Amino acid sequence: MALTQQTIEEPLRAQFGDAILGVEEYLGEWTVEVAPQSVREVCLFLRDNGDFAFEQIIDLCGVDYLEYYDYPADAPRFAAVYHLLSLRHNHRLRLRARVAEARPVVPSVVDVWAVANWFEREAFDMYGLIFEGHPDLRRILTDYGFAGHPFRKDFPLEGHVEMRYDPDRQRVVYQPVTIEERNLVPRTHWQEAEEDG
Amino acid sequence: MGVEGALEKGVVTTTADKLVNWTRTGSLWPMTFGLACCAVEMMHTGAARYDMDRLGVMFRPNPRQSDVMIIAGTLVNKMAPALRKVYDQMTEPRWVISMGSCSNGGGYYHYSYSVVRGSDRIVPVDIYVAGCPPTAESLLYGIIQLQNKIKRTNTIARQ
Repeated sequence: MALTQQTIEEPLRAQFGDAILGVEEYLGEWTVEVAPQSVREVCLFLRDNGDFAFEQIIDLCGVDYLEYYDYPADAPRFAAVYHLLSLRHNHRLRLRARVAEARPVVPSVVDVWAVANWFEREAFDMYGLIFEGHPDLRRILTDYGFAGHPFRKDFPLEGHVEMRYDPDRQRVVYQPVTIEERNLVPRTHWQEAEEDG
Repeated sequence: MGVEGALEKGVVTTTADKLVNWTRTGSLWPMTFGLACCAVEMMHTGAARYDMDRLGVMFRPNPRQSDVMIIAGTLVNKMAPALRKVYDQMTEPRWVISMGSCSNGGGYYHYSYSVVRGSDRIVPVDIYVAGCPPTAESLLYGIIQLQNKIKRTNTIARQ
């Protein structure tokens, strides 16, 4: 079964109704917008339904749409994105569940695909997305006791603390950052020309 | 210690300092601390073409038996306490070679929230090897420079 607008949307709509917010294709890749509270049920359906048979989750990541180009101001800030692969049918599908900053909670899919465990820990670590029902939602990459979520757009590149060895205390300590913030917006000739008039 | 002429007479004279330094430079056993891509270049230095063994430099995966630590790669905040702990476990005299831009001063990740801006913030560094990553020749040159540095030290102080 090839993935088309009809073959994706009809069975999903029949099963989940309003929880399917949209199905769209771009550059030959299909994306399904899902209401966050139904993510786990949709994933379970996509795995077990013989026409979809998505046995694998290739990636699960977070997205921060803060200051995103052409993004509606009232739309949810974060999204959890799931990339699925079916080896049986050789087709792929992307799920996107948008969640608001006030309550960035998505149901965990660890019991659907076991590999999602570390993917969800990474998305939690980097974006602060909470995966409800995750068996062990700890940070995975950043330092023990790290504060903040570094991939959020409002997290400064230099962070808040840096590390050095303290000879008096005979151990490595954290201290506030001492370097100046870096200007990441390059100046272009066009800008200079505009400013000069 | 030039021994060529003296060998015929069967006697060699030298200073104790030079003898001590000769033994130290001849068996620099590095504690490998491969942290990133520099570690691959460090392996090349140890492999057949450049062959650190011929300088008496043999890797020890054990801080208690090593004289020099080669920090090869990006030192991140999470690894820094472990690096310091390994350094503290090394027996004196001990030296540190910082290999590559990341270890020298943060390098590409200088402005990162998670990278130590130079491993000399954590341990005292003797030799900085530049490059990203440095070639095997560079690291070998750094090791020879460290040997030259050790040869200049006076272990037994002259009153």
